[in-house]
Amino acid sequence: MLQYILRRTAVGLLMLLALTVLIFTLLRLTPGDPIDAYINPSVPISASDLEMLRTRLGLERPLPVQYFAWLGAALTGDFGYSIQYNGEAVLPLVLNRIGPTILLMFSGLVISVVVGITTGIFAAVRRNKLADLSLSTVAFVGISSPAFLTALLGLYVFAVNLRWVPAGGMSTPGAPFSVGDLLAHLILPAALLSIGHGALIMRYMRSSLLEVLSQDYVRTARAKGVREFWVIVKHAVRNALLPVITLIGSTIGMAIGGAIFIESVFDWPGMGLLMVNAVVRRDYPVIMCATLLTGACVILVNLLTDIAYAAVDPRIKVA
Amino acid sequence: MHRRNFGRLLAAGALLFATTAAVVPATAQAQTGKTIVGGFDVGPGGFQGNFNPLTATAGFTWLNTYFEPLVIYTSDLSKLTGALASEFTLAQDNLTYTFKLAQTNWHDGTPFTSADVKFTLELAKNAESGSIFAARLADIASVETPDARTAVVKLSKPNSAFLSVLSQMMMLPQHALSSVNVKEVAKSAWWSTKPVGTGPFKFVKHVSDQYVELAAYDGYRGGKPKADRLINRYFANPAAAVAALRAGEIQFTFAEPDDAKTFKGNGGFRVIEGDSYVVNYIGFNHRAGIWSDLRVRQAVMHAIDRNAIVSSLYGGAAKLANCGYVAPQLLAKDMADYAYNPQKAKDLLAEAGWEKINGSKPIPWLTYYNTPQVANVMAAMQAMLAQVGVNVVPRALDVPSYNGIVRSEKWQDFPLIYAGLQNGPNPGSLNVGLNAAQTPPSGNNIMRVEMPPLTDALNAAMGETDPAKADGRWQKVCKEMNAALPWGPMWVASRYGVVSSKLKDFFWTPAPGGGPFVSHPEKWDLAP
Amino acid sequence: MASVTHAGSAGPIRRALSRFFENGAAVVGLAILIPILVLTLTYDLWWLYKPNDIDLLAMNQGPSAAHWLGSDGVGRDIMARLLQGGRISLLVATVSMAISTFLGFFLGAIAGFAGRFVDGATMRFVDLAMTLPPVIFLLVLASIVGSGIMPTIFVISLLSWPVLARMVRARLLELRERDFVVASRGMGAGLWHLLIRHGLPNTIDILVVYATLQVASGILLEAGLSFLGLGVTPPEASWGNMLNAARATHVLENYPWQWMFPGGALVLTVLAINFVGDGLRDAFDPRSELK
Repeated sequence: MLQYILRRTAVGLLMLLALTVLIFTLLRLTPGDPIDAYINPSVPISASDLEMLRTRLGLERPLPVQYFAWLGAALTGDFGYSIQYNGEAVLPLVLNRIGPTILLMFSGLVISVVVGITTGIFAAVRRNKLADLSLSTVAFVGISSPAFLTALLGLYVFAVNLRWVPAGGMSTPGAPFSVGDLLAHLILPAALLSIGHGALIMRYMRSSLLEVLSQDYVRTARAKGVREFWVIVKHAVRNALLPVITLIGSTIGMAIGGAIFIESVFDWPGMGLLMVNAVVRRDYPVIMCATLLTGACVILVNLLTDIAYAAVDPRIKVA
Repeated sequence: MHRRNFGRLLAAGALLFATTAAVVPATAQAQTGKTIVGGFDVGPGGFQGNFNPLTATAGFTWLNTYFEPLVIYTSDLSKLTGALASEFTLAQDNLTYTFKLAQTNWHDGTPFTSADVKFTLELAKNAESGSIFAARLADIASVETPDARTAVVKLSKPNSAFLSVLSQMMMLPQHALSSVNVKEVAKSAWWSTKPVGTGPFKFVKHVSDQYVELAAYDGYRGGKPKADRLINRYFANPAAAVAALRAGEIQFTFAEPDDAKTFKGNGGFRVIEGDSYVVNYIGFNHRAGIWSDLRVRQAVMHAIDRNAIVSSLYGGAAKLANCGYVAPQLLAKDMADYAYNPQKAKDLLAEAGWEKINGSKPIPWLTYYNTPQVANVMAAMQAMLAQVGVNVVPRALDVPSYNGIVRSEKWQDFPLIYAGLQNGPNPGSLNVGLNAAQTPPSGNNIMRVEMPPLTDALNAAMGETDPAKADGRWQKVCKEMNAALPWGPMWVASRYGVVSSKLKDFFWTPAPGGGPFVSHPEKWDLAP
Repeated sequence: MASVTHAGSAGPIRRALSRFFENGAAVVGLAILIPILVLTLTYDLWWLYKPNDIDLLAMNQGPSAAHWLGSDGVGRDIMARLLQGGRISLLVATVSMAISTFLGFFLGAIAGFAGRFVDGATMRFVDLAMTLPPVIFLLVLASIVGSGIMPTIFVISLLSWPVLARMVRARLLELRERDFVVASRGMGAGLWHLLIRHGLPNTIDILVVYATLQVASGILLEAGLSFLGLGVTPPEASWGNMLNAARATHVLENYPWQWMFPGGALVLTVLAINFVGDGLRDAFDPRSELK
């Protein structure tokens, strides 16, 4: 097991390195550089000033030189300075975004897991009855709706029209921090975020539970006169959860990247919004650092999921 | 799972839900005093996330609430007036400017003196500091400080745009910044954590990508501000800011014209309409080879029904431009009006031999405008040009891609653009886009306009320091533009801001780059 | 797993089809999908307006006898744009599905059949592609290739193949050491032969289901890209960039027909494809364990 973990870690590190080369190359293929992003085309500005800025940022050096300069600094923990945010150091900038993103994604995940599993069980138990059909239809519509549309509509209905919750942001500007304020800002984006995942989890839970319910040991338990409710809760659900756990695991890895649509509609200061802004402004240091961090998270979570899966289900051999 | 655990889980869930429900309504703001919240950096005049005036291309409306320049445009943008300089004079030699400074203190209590002026100008002139004003201030020969209240700036040659550039030059405190290495100034955390200015509000904090908070500076020389706090909230796009305005969370924002329209007649809001000072044009790439014949360029002008577009898509809120200017004092007499005439356009194209030049091949038409309104306007123009046999294909890019492409030399990538360029309050703004000497990489003449008579007219106007003669010089430029069509000038559209009627004595105008202009933030007040 | 051991055997496929048609939801999905396809493909034969015909005198009009679904901000007919947009959205989704299915199958099958070294290299490449943050990948790629129909197809294709490659490889790994594969290798069969004669028939169920669901996710991705301003560029219509109009509050509020119809069409189409995809999955594998 230990050897397995070590080997996977080594491969993971190599992949991170490859990832940085890949994203660095891709970035430099994109038209326009940070200085081009800086200029408002309708504002008259002297071109020589821009050239000087370019030189200050070292953008005129050959690409391999720039890459190794970045890599060398990054290995010592220096990820450079953001170009768009007035030279803020990149690492704290990116780390500051992980908190809000995790909060949003985790809340969304919790809602979707709770709702998804409950409705999934319910639908499976009432298989092909009206409740199952309507829940399944709702879930299908949830999976089939574009996230930005639900976000826009949700914002319009609940924030602009009904004024139940604030229209975007993570806190009331200028107000001292309070949990209530945070929750008020969090609840709508988290709920909207959970729609897609929740629907997916419900579908998985339903089909997984249906499969388990048809198996021998469940029939045995029923035959032994155990009450249906306990058959489901005690025997079936536990086993049916396995594929759902894998599904949730694979979502967590992606979660760190943020929910680009929800974050940009709700101005949620998370990784998604940061990365969109960084790409739009060609903020190379921020993009590199964010890619590295999210890449590391995906690799780590995949590793952990594999280990967790192996631990839950001893039939799976690590090899 | 055991029955007990299940019950516990349920109870915990219920508890969590109950606390959430109980806490959420308690968000009714426990704030003291008057807090004005606005989207001051929304729209093209804003620059969210920039705190350093030396690197600012826009966002001056907001910067001017805590920093101040020496001179500033009046609120109608018609002329320059004193800000930190209580008086300013230009000597007979057209080179020596003398500034008498106002008696005031920085937010931290240190007096503002001529040493700060000298420090700021020298820092801004030094490209090492990351300043984007370096080239524009290159004419400064010396800054002298005969006494603490007087600063004398000598230029090496007359420059009619000097004061206009100076109006965007926010004064910086020498005592706070002189210890920072010049090369490190742009990276300094000072700008976004503890900047010190002389304006009516002082900096409190910046919450990344969310908002910037200022508090009243009681010692402001124009009087204690009426609002206790001023907050600039950040939005990913103007539509989100409009949503927050309608939800009552902010009191002011820039708004896209279509959004602004929905507030008209609504008693809860006031719509501010103003000249954008940006002339929109169809840019012909003069090196692309297909626009060399003047008749082709004229045909494009005649093919577009600008009146119909302005009255329907702009709701009348745009002025037709037949040269780079729309201000009456800059317009030449007897200009061609390029009225809508598709038949004439077809004839001109036929005479020029358009079939041979390009024919019906698609012509990519680049823009950096990503608003729904411009998408509609370009769709309309595309349809009109198609009528006369010019097949253009609009393509909206993000700003860096656009700048990257138009500054390259791949002419076939950008034969045609739809863009805007600032044409006021200083008419000299157009020089960088039209003067042959400004061709990239040295300047911003991205369409590679090389028309000697136009360049001569521009040079003559730029060198004219006598205000009485200046307008006449610019009229010549206008006339030349109208006749030779270096661009296809279209219109100058209005821009909008929407203010909650709770906000009293508030002033804003859609100045290019956000001004700065006299807006008296200390007088802004919030009705209960 | 009902593994298909002989190439080209029609039996299981026929059985799957009959199972498919017993599935109510799947048939409903087909019943929704076919009319949508027919309408979008033929509209220019029977509908009066063209999608890019502007009419500045008839802007923002609600549904009427002339414009059944109303008109948009430059007076273009929403019905024509809806159908043209559907054509473009479906085109983008289908072509990108074809490319990503091919890529996924090809790389997955090579990894599955070729030796250990090639397998390792290919799979690390797949892992790398999966590690790339989709947000950045999407944005950067879209900025590089530009916006428009072809670039959008390119971006969507490149984003989704790794999952398929993994599934195909997992299936074929079981097969690699089986007698008939070893035998055909021994007989000097080329890789291409292996892929077509053994790889394809043994993964056809995965491919069909993946392809179907990929069309659905392609439509959603196109809409998302257009929402970010990176997808199909206006004035060309697509469901995504029509929906983009809902971004402005005044359209959302005052001109609901401008976004409700494309929104409804999009959700309905994706829903129908999901129904069909689910039906296919159940049909090919009654125990539905496709991950």
